[in-house]
Amino acid sequence: MIEFSDVRKAYPDGTVALQSLSLTARAGEITVLVGPSGCGKTTTLRMVNRMVDPSSGTVRLDGVDVSTQDPPTLRRGIGYVIQNAGLFPHRTVLDNVATVPVLLGRRRAEARQAAGELLERVGLDPKVGGRYPSQLSGGQQQRVGVARALAGDAPVLLMDEPFSAVDPVVRADLQDELLRLQSELGRTILFVTHDIDEAIRLGDMVAVLRVGGTLAQFAPPADLLAAPADDFVAGFVGRDRGYRRLQFVGTGSLTLQDFPTTGDGWLLVVDDDGRPTGWRQGDEHVALGTVHAEGGSLRSALDAALSSPAGRGVAVDDDGRVLGGIEPEAVITLLHASSSPAPEAVR
Amino acid sequence: MFSSLIAWFGAPAQWSSASGIPVRLLQHLGYTALAVLVGAVIAVPVGLYIGHTDRGRFLVVGLANGLRALPELGVLVLFVLLLGLGLTPVTLALMLLAIPPLLAGTYAGISGVDPAAVDAARGVGMTERQVLFQVELPNALPLMVAGLRTATLQVVATATIAAFVSLGGLGRYIVDGQAQRDFTQMAGGAILVALLAIVLEVALQGLQRAVTPGARRARSGSRPPTPAVGTSDVVTAGG
Amino acid sequence: MRLFGADILPLAAEHIVLALVPVLLGLVVSLPLGWWAWRSRGARRVLLPLTGVLYTIPSLALFVVMPLILGTRILDPVNVVVALTVYAVALLVRSVVDGLDEVPSEVMTAGVAMGYRPLGLLFGVQLPLAVPVLVAGVRVAAVSSFSLVAVGAIIGQGALGTLFTQGFERFYTAQIVFGLVSILVLALLIDALLMMLGRLLAPWAAARAPQKAGDAAQRSSTREQGEAAQRSSTRESAV
Repeated sequence: MIEFSDVRKAYPDGTVALQSLSLTARAGEITVLVGPSGCGKTTTLRMVNRMVDPSSGTVRLDGVDVSTQDPPTLRRGIGYVIQNAGLFPHRTVLDNVATVPVLLGRRRAEARQAAGELLERVGLDPKVGGRYPSQLSGGQQQRVGVARALAGDAPVLLMDEPFSAVDPVVRADLQDELLRLQSELGRTILFVTHDIDEAIRLGDMVAVLRVGGTLAQFAPPADLLAAPADDFVAGFVGRDRGYRRLQFVGTGSLTLQDFPTTGDGWLLVVDDDGRPTGWRQGDEHVALGTVHAEGGSLRSALDAALSSPAGRGVAVDDDGRVLGGIEPEAVITLLHASSSPAPEAVR
Repeated sequence: MFSSLIAWFGAPAQWSSASGIPVRLLQHLGYTALAVLVGAVIAVPVGLYIGHTDRGRFLVVGLANGLRALPELGVLVLFVLLLGLGLTPVTLALMLLAIPPLLAGTYAGISGVDPAAVDAARGVGMTERQVLFQVELPNALPLMVAGLRTATLQVVATATIAAFVSLGGLGRYIVDGQAQRDFTQMAGGAILVALLAIVLEVALQGLQRAVTPGARRARSGSRPPTPAVGTSDVVTAGG
Repeated sequence: MRLFGADILPLAAEHIVLALVPVLLGLVVSLPLGWWAWRSRGARRVLLPLTGVLYTIPSLALFVVMPLILGTRILDPVNVVVALTVYAVALLVRSVVDGLDEVPSEVMTAGVAMGYRPLGLLFGVQLPLAVPVLVAGVRVAAVSSFSLVAVGAIIGQGALGTLFTQGFERFYTAQIVFGLVSILVLALLIDALLMMLGRLLAPWAAARAPQKAGDAAQRSSTREQGEAAQRSSTRESAV
């Protein structure tokens, strides 16, 4: 658990990076700090491992005031991932990952062995262990960065815009990977980003900061979308927040329709196991739209309905077999029924 | 020691006779200017060509590396033995030293011009000639002047040993002093050469700054000029 | 082995010692000075221009002035060693600063964040990463040193350089050519050895090269080479 109490940071030249922040990042959760540049989010993050010391106020890590601790010792117990990975170019991937264990006094051979296992854990071929960082792609480097941060078995992970420098497709992969890792490891993660979509995707809790370093809102992502605290948050969360909020709404009582089996209209084509393969209208074969898997969010249901050429989306079960059709109207109806105050969450 | 040096510098003959300081100084500057000029006439066109076409790059790197290891005292005496005493062998030997930095400076200046700017120049319909003289050359000037500066300093330093092969210049004091066991004269000559080199360095640094667009802006701005951390500084290394 | 009336092998050995000892001493002095200049803006503002000025002083002048400063005799080899050490320091302080500047800021941040203490970071991360730039500087210093030692022959301390002065007095071209070639070969040999040492100390730098195939990277590396060529040729003849 990381607690910020009345933390303020002002520089000698008068600029105030952080007005006065009080915030608690709960253990085992991902807490995201998000805001425009100049809002003090990175400053906040760096106070945890004392890369920056606050002008006033205290930061506590599991109840212990960090200002009482020796910075290098403190840092060896906290994982840290930054934008361009910051890997050591002169060390192999394996030795990069083994850095903190070796600093902690572990034997090198042992640390390398553990490093190899960690590489697999973050989705890398252990064969890359012998390469130098410059021989890896940006996405691979970032995975190594994550592995390196995990190597010290630190219960706390600080991540400063770790995925901002990679292209959107790779970024989505890395985000998925982080969520998967987190479900296995349950670390306490403080994550900084300027990208509200990333914040909503990853955060258990999201803190939106204003320029000048004040907290605008601290809430779970669904609440942020459903009920922004003020115009600043609403503006920052973006225009289509109503639509994006649907990803946090379940489809428990969604009414499914049957598909017509004969006629001149759209016919759904299924294989022998009952999995959808496409549509037919007369002699024409048309590709399937997106498919809504049972248990998914309202957003995926609506998207299935809207992207289907037949105007009726396809819902499937866990094995991919057709369950029924989704009419856009059914989604809207369900939305009315389940709208505020608190829709059920599916995360 | 210091008092005899002061006496050496203070003697009236030192400032008026045919072997006095002003004459030696002018001789020294003359050898330097001649060698650098001849070197530039050869090196600058070649550097422009290599920089513009990127053909023959190995020549620049190879020349710079090879010539660095060549002891100039040996080159000088060899040329004198082959061509006889006089200005020609000395000028040729000194020119040989001036060429690599001039070539490297010109080449690096031209090839370092922002490729987008060169692309844009071709895009608006400039001929290759216009691209070279209206876009590449003005942008390459700072590095070219840096090359000139390096070349000048090397030549001015090496011109000192011209005295060893019976020419004039400030080196005379060192060589004659050595022959006559007159250490005062040697030290006096050494101090003059060092001062001349430093004055030239400062002057050429000023010229380099004058042709660097960024530096000019920084100077006219209200803030005190910050040390330039740019190409000019890189080449300055050890100038 | 006697050639041209002189014992060549002792002369060569003397040449190697006179050329390389100053480079070693220079490196030892430059590491702390360069680190200081890298850390403190004030130190950088004083040290870098100062080394620039030192580098400007022609070597013959420096050889001659040394006894005045050190209180040594004129014919003491210490004069040459100290003078060449001054050049090595002038060159290498800059290399150390450049090398440390080369370390990417995110790598430094990562090192600090992972719990390195300042000395651990310096020896574990910064210096290893500065190795390629440092080795490049040492190579330039060593090769120039070989050429500069020969100049000492004018004041009676030139090891293989005495082949030039004697050859000149006797009008013996073969002796001069032999001297040129032997100094050149020694210098290039040392250069090659240092290059291999660099590869050994920084295998990662070689691994990086083939990755940079992009147009921009290519261009920037060409530029680096041009600048390196420029820089390397800067001092070769500080006579």
